[in-house]
Amino acid sequence: MPVAASAIYFLNLRGDVLINRTYRDDVGGNMVDAFRTHIMQTKELGNCPVRQIGGCSFVYMRISNVYIVIVVSSNANVACGFKFVVEAVALFKSYFGGAFDEDAIKNNFVLIYELLDEIMDFGYPQNLSPEILKLYITQEGVRSPFSSKPKDKPVPNATLQVTGAVGWRREGLSYKKNEVFLDIVESVNLLMSSKGNVLRCDVTGKVLMKCFLSGMPDLKLGLNDKIGLEKESEMKSRPAKSGKTIELDDVTFHQCVNLTRFNSEKTVSFVPPDGEFELMKYRITEGVNLPFRVLPTIKELGRTRMEVNVKVKSVFGAKMFALGVVVKIPVPKQTAKTNFQVTTGRAKYNPSIDCLVWKIRKFPGQTESTLSAEIELISTMGEKKSWTRPPIQMEFQVPMFTASGLRVRFLKVWEKSGYNTVEWVRYITKAGSYEIRC
Amino acid sequence: MAPPAASQRYPSPSQPSGKSEVTDLKSQLRQLAGSRAPGVDDSKRDLFKKVISYMTIGIDVSSVFGEMVMCSATSDIVLKKMCYLYVGNYAKGNPDLSLLTINFLQRDCKDQDPMIRGLALRSLCSLRVPNLVEYLVGPLGSGLKDNNSYVRTIAVTGVLKLYHISASTCIDADFPATLKSLMLHDSDAQVVANCLSALQEIWSLEASHSEEACREKESLLSKPVIYYFLNRIKEFNEWAQCLILELAVKYVPSDSNDIFDIMNLLEDRLQHANGAVVLATVKVFLQLTLSMTDVHQQVYERIKSPLLTLVSSGSPEQSYAILSHLHLLVVRAPFIFASDYKHFYCQYNEPAYVKKLKLEMLTAIANESNTYEIVTELCEYAANVDIAIARESVRAVGKIALQQYDVNAIVDRLLQFLEMEKDYVTAETLVLVKDLLRKYPQWSHDCISVVGGISSKNIQEPKAKSALIWMLGEYAQDMSDAPYILENLIENWEEEHSAEVRLHLLTAAMKCFFKRPPETQKALGIALAAGMADFHQDVHDRALFYYRVLQYDVHVAERVVSPPKQAVSVFADTQSSEIKDRIFDEFNSLSVVYQKPSYMFTDKEHRGPFEFSDEIGNIPITPEASGDIVPAQQFEANDKDLLLSTDEKDDNKGVSITGSAYTAPSHDNSNISSQMQELAISGPATSAATPQSSFDFDDIFGLGLSTAPAPTPSPPLLKLNPRAALDPGAFQQKWRQLPISLTQDCSVNPQGIAALTVPQSLIKHMQSHSIHCIASGGQSPNFKFFFFAQKESEPSSNYFTECVINSSSAKAQIKVKADEQSTSQAFATVFETALSEFGMP
Repeated sequence: MPVAASAIYFLNLRGDVLINRTYRDDVGGNMVDAFRTHIMQTKELGNCPVRQIGGCSFVYMRISNVYIVIVVSSNANVACGFKFVVEAVALFKSYFGGAFDEDAIKNNFVLIYELLDEIMDFGYPQNLSPEILKLYITQEGVRSPFSSKPKDKPVPNATLQVTGAVGWRREGLSYKKNEVFLDIVESVNLLMSSKGNVLRCDVTGKVLMKCFLSGMPDLKLGLNDKIGLEKESEMKSRPAKSGKTIELDDVTFHQCVNLTRFNSEKTVSFVPPDGEFELMKYRITEGVNLPFRVLPTIKELGRTRMEVNVKVKSVFGAKMFALGVVVKIPVPKQTAKTNFQVTTGRAKYNPSIDCLVWKIRKFPGQTESTLSAEIELISTMGEKKSWTRPPIQMEFQVPMFTASGLRVRFLKVWEKSGYNTVEWVRYITKAGSYEIRC
Repeated sequence: MAPPAASQRYPSPSQPSGKSEVTDLKSQLRQLAGSRAPGVDDSKRDLFKKVISYMTIGIDVSSVFGEMVMCSATSDIVLKKMCYLYVGNYAKGNPDLSLLTINFLQRDCKDQDPMIRGLALRSLCSLRVPNLVEYLVGPLGSGLKDNNSYVRTIAVTGVLKLYHISASTCIDADFPATLKSLMLHDSDAQVVANCLSALQEIWSLEASHSEEACREKESLLSKPVIYYFLNRIKEFNEWAQCLILELAVKYVPSDSNDIFDIMNLLEDRLQHANGAVVLATVKVFLQLTLSMTDVHQQVYERIKSPLLTLVSSGSPEQSYAILSHLHLLVVRAPFIFASDYKHFYCQYNEPAYVKKLKLEMLTAIANESNTYEIVTELCEYAANVDIAIARESVRAVGKIALQQYDVNAIVDRLLQFLEMEKDYVTAETLVLVKDLLRKYPQWSHDCISVVGGISSKNIQEPKAKSALIWMLGEYAQDMSDAPYILENLIENWEEEHSAEVRLHLLTAAMKCFFKRPPETQKALGIALAAGMADFHQDVHDRALFYYRVLQYDVHVAERVVSPPKQAVSVFADTQSSEIKDRIFDEFNSLSVVYQKPSYMFTDKEHRGPFEFSDEIGNIPITPEASGDIVPAQQFEANDKDLLLSTDEKDDNKGVSITGSAYTAPSHDNSNISSQMQELAISGPATSAATPQSSFDFDDIFGLGLSTAPAPTPSPPLLKLNPRAALDPGAFQQKWRQLPISLTQDCSVNPQGIAALTVPQSLIKHMQSHSIHCIASGGQSPNFKFFFFAQKESEPSSNYFTECVINSSSAKAQIKVKADEQSTSQAFATVFETALSEFGMP
């Protein structure tokens, strides 16, 4: 059985139960005490998200200031358990308008009870799709889709959708203006050695969509990925267009994408859910364009002084710019005094994270800026321990830039009524874990 | 939906507050119960919310049960839901009151609105009160036939709930058959999925006592059923897909076409966004192709990419779940992942549990082509702030070195670690250098020169200290000041808290003495004296033994304590391949995360503070290989450490010669052991016959010590030969031939249980009662021993005993076989008496 969860608990950081639901009787009532004494009050917390105590296993996650704990008594499927928690939180968030924390739970506990009953029955996950659940469990209370009361929008047989085959879209939607928004969001992960060698570099990307389309539209998305283009040129028996093609290491799709057609024709075609959703995820390791180069030099001058020099170069197009650039430069714990100059932006010493935090609001392409700092250290008694330098970390967002070079070639919408649609496409590259050792 | 005032919710849920509030609520509810005034539903809602919020924070509100039920006559669905929730929570504790609710729940089950029908049915089934099951059958039956799929899904799970309350009611009503037909014919995917999970659970529980259920369970795995599910898998939601894939794993395909059909059907599942679906698919692929080696290989290649994507997306917890599985695959087929090593580089901010797995994977996939990069990376982590990870990294470098890829360079790195001057890095490195030396003695010169420079004062950890002391003893001839370092350490004997270190000091002093006698003589004398006065039994025994063996013959002593070493070729593996295979069979479950098969954490008897890593029945009685050294890997194969500590290895040699039978004595030593026993019993007198008799032995070491022979136990009714000898082959033969003459259960006293942390402790004890161990095995809480004994008067009359001890229940079971059947009862009495004295001071 995938997960026959015995119980689910929501705890605050002190270990008080905010809400709990017991689905099965095979675990004792005081599981939460076991969790508190054996995990929360020990160093175990954060050591491992799966723990066994007695005959039960605890699968737990911390989300903002809440612990969500699933208790299972059998040899359950862990991946399923975590995924369930993540999906449930996404569901709650969509109900609470974005926030999920202790207060949100306290303010909505009746609603959460209702949802917990619907999304899991006797330990087996049921439907967790917000689109469907919102049809009959609403913020204002429960609204029965079957009641004969007049409604603004006719909802055709919701239970069919509660359980049915096309779970992600209901029929009869209509919009005055038909619009599709498509965002390609990439995060670049980089690990660079102190000598400037790229140790590891990859891009994880997401294609996020927001659809406001009437009826049951069929969408087709074309990207400049290698396999797709090759397949296309093969089918139309003409040579592939020149230009950059991207090799995707791996792709996963939202359940609405017709995977059979993707495998045979390599096109992404789908009937989208209404509103916001994540269409696909991909990963790329080859040919990544790094948006920033970081060149650090750190000199330890004797035991009480250090010189830090960090140069950051933007290597994307000159017409583009990065926003919200933050460079965190680690300094030793015993830092006493810092002096620095920056060519752009502002820098500050943050003792709580032992870092110089250098912020640049807008960073144009093909430019560079530097920070040079002098650091005085408190001399420590006799200890000759050398300081182990954590890596420099960087945060940024570069709009209209993709580190992978991925582009949307076309996005076609087809619906039987033949309405016109407006398509919006955006690109953005963010820093994932962008680390430079120094 | 405001919660009640903060003062009521805090400070603690366990605080028995809220009494007056509950009484208050009760009266308010009572007022509203009969009222039909407009707006009454709103005030009811507020009250209900209050009740539910008290319930949530643990205040007992069961006293308002009656009032809640009275107020439940309403058409407001929110009120109904809250009422159902309340009833579901307290019904179990108030079976009599729950009868009140049956009425309105049954009525709601017939409501026009399918939503209410469904909710009522779910609540009815969730009451969990055994004496109310009769009221469930009717509504469930009509629920299963309901024309609304929402009600049917709930009814199906309801059947499963009923089964858990009262299996017989469920079976008698013939619900499983109804579910089966629903499963195969219902148009709604969720109904089908719930039928599947319910039937799987019911039939596997029934299978133990009903043949029919067994057949039904098998029929779920028949080809038509499997294909019925797989062909329409896309209609199911992600959770139900996991369920179906899990079912498909158990399917036995008829031929290779069948296998490829299924893989083709499922290939696109690997692209699913839900990691659980991907893992379940991976499991199907791996299990299907187990018998086809090359396809199995291709499967690994195919699944690599989706798994790596899942690792890098999602929360750390999710990637941990995926990584654990990847870890399993990496360890099984490291070469396939060898080129992907960069994916396992750690990020600075990753949680330690993720880093640890990654380190292990990097270790596993190191080969000729990537060792340099991997070791370079690992060396970075050794400087990590997180001490645990830094230690792991050093260990990982060592493990790679032991795999022999480019040892030269790695030894250099290890030595660099020593120069980092961090206590914990130095400590870990020392342990590793020691292991390296045991495997590659040819590196001794490079290592020793650096190790010699380390000040023993900076090393506190027992493991590291032991390693350093071992090296000092072993390579005394290469380190000019080895005797003086040892002398320093020995002078601080009293301050040394770890028995392990003291044992090592004794052995090292001996070894050093054989190599450089004049310089070590004094230190050895002090060590032996301190050791014999030591309160720790093992230290005391070893010191005494060294003393006596020196007294007997220095050359024999040298052969015993410091024989020419053979390089260790393979260190004992941590987990048997059988266990690994079992974990692999349980892919996509907790087993993989815990890295142990499910029976170890779900079966009650296997749980407990210690892991039990071998089935008690499988302990083989293998005759030990002859030779002076018992091969290290036969000793304590269950050791959790990758490497046996030198301590155990030295013990093994030393102790097997004394004849006190660690595990199984090697019988080539039997002449020495009998000599030693004579020595022990006859005391200093025999030493006169030794070549060293010309000088006063005690004076050499400055000891004035008279060795009193250990008092032999007062002879029981049956006299046993204290020096009986039998070789394991003969034991095995006899054990097969003889019938069991006696089986007996007895209990072991608590002190005995406390002493029985390793099998050796009991073996020593029984030895003192002239009952000898031929083989032993197991780990807490289950131990198994084979003993033999011989009648003192007649060497041909032997007793053979199998003794299984469960230390958690403090019970022992003994089976006795004897050459002379008539005396087996007498022997059993002796045995039991001996056992009962175990652990007594």
